[in-house]
Amino acid sequence: MQNNLLRFAVLILVLLLASLSVEALAHGVDDKTRMFLEQNTGMQFIPFIYIGAKHMFTGYDHILFLVGVIFFLYRSRDVLLYVSMFTVGHSITLLWGVLGDIQVNAYLIDAIIGFSVIYKGFDNLGGFKRVFGKQPSTKLAVLIFGLFHGFGLATKLQEFDLPADGLVANMIAFNIGVELGQFMALAFILIAINFWRKLPSFQRFSTATNTMLMSAGLMLMGLQLSGYYLY
Amino acid sequence: MTQHVVSTKTLVKSTIAASAIAVIVFICFILPAEYNIDPTHIGHKLGLTALADYDDDIATKAGSIAATEQGQQVIEVIVPAEKGIEYKFQMNQYEKMTYEWVTDGAALYFDLHGEPEGDTTGYFESYAIATLSEMKGSFTSPFEGSHGWYWKNNSNKPVAIQLIVEGQYTVIGLK
Repeated sequence: MQNNLLRFAVLILVLLLASLSVEALAHGVDDKTRMFLEQNTGMQFIPFIYIGAKHMFTGYDHILFLVGVIFFLYRSRDVLLYVSMFTVGHSITLLWGVLGDIQVNAYLIDAIIGFSVIYKGFDNLGGFKRVFGKQPSTKLAVLIFGLFHGFGLATKLQEFDLPADGLVANMIAFNIGVELGQFMALAFILIAINFWRKLPSFQRFSTATNTMLMSAGLMLMGLQLSGYYLY
Repeated sequence: MTQHVVSTKTLVKSTIAASAIAVIVFICFILPAEYNIDPTHIGHKLGLTALADYDDDIATKAGSIAATEQGQQVIEVIVPAEKGIEYKFQMNQYEKMTYEWVTDGAALYFDLHGEPEGDTTGYFESYAIATLSEMKGSFTSPFEGSHGWYWKNNSNKPVAIQLIVEGQYTVIGLK
């Protein structure tokens, strides 16, 4: 019992520390990164990996969606499968969006990303089965929302006039960074959720947790949609 | 998967709770802090609207300086809504500055003035005070110290100013 308490305290501490960095960096690209992105020329492989990783690790909308996706996945094989679907999805649109110079509104894309969090929270509650009598494919949903998350990543990079020189290599570096950041974030989420799953409170609070996911998704959507109408 | 389908009652309750929490947080905290929209005035009381103002300040600080071929400096600053800013230059006694500034439309109250170096009494000497949307001129500093403009924006929209200066000075910038 004592041991459990201690582990729980450590877990809370880790979560607090993680949320601190999220608070400080929020979602956009910070000023120093902006300066770097606009002034660099040529291939900058490692810096772009770093920017990608940092963006993913501190991007709470992506993280919330991932929490929703792996909430009820306890077999490593399933986790790997679903995360791969998400990765394939966002890699396609990230590369396509930037290299193909596809212009999408950042606020609208971020609103859809917010919606993906609501969707996953509702899905985890069994909402679709309850309301429509059947479960839409969860794998397909992860893939499709992955595509939108990729466009979201692309719009963040398109805010800068990235030099064409070395663009492809830099984009691939950014994408690798995104996967590394996602991997790191996932490691934390998996440790936390797998630990929590063993406790009776997991079942008791799973409804509350997914309700909060929906709520957070709604907030993200509201935030982005008002940004869309105001600017 | 251990996922289970919750009862209809729980689902409805969850959805309502999620929406209610989101709406309350959105209206009371997110809108004031992000967009300076504060229907409940809670954001103002908590000091959250200052965060939205802070963004304007950053935009002002990022005010750019560029040089023209004639050796002039082109300075761009933004005066946030209902706020005043001061842009100053360090000049020695009897040094001269030629200036020209224009706003993006609205007229601004301004005070072109100088403060003597090392003065602690708050003394300053005004060279021009008016409410205009543009002005051209020159002045010779009567004493060593910081010289420049105070612009006050009384409207509810930010106003951009382009200031072109030439002469003997070093830029201090926004104060």
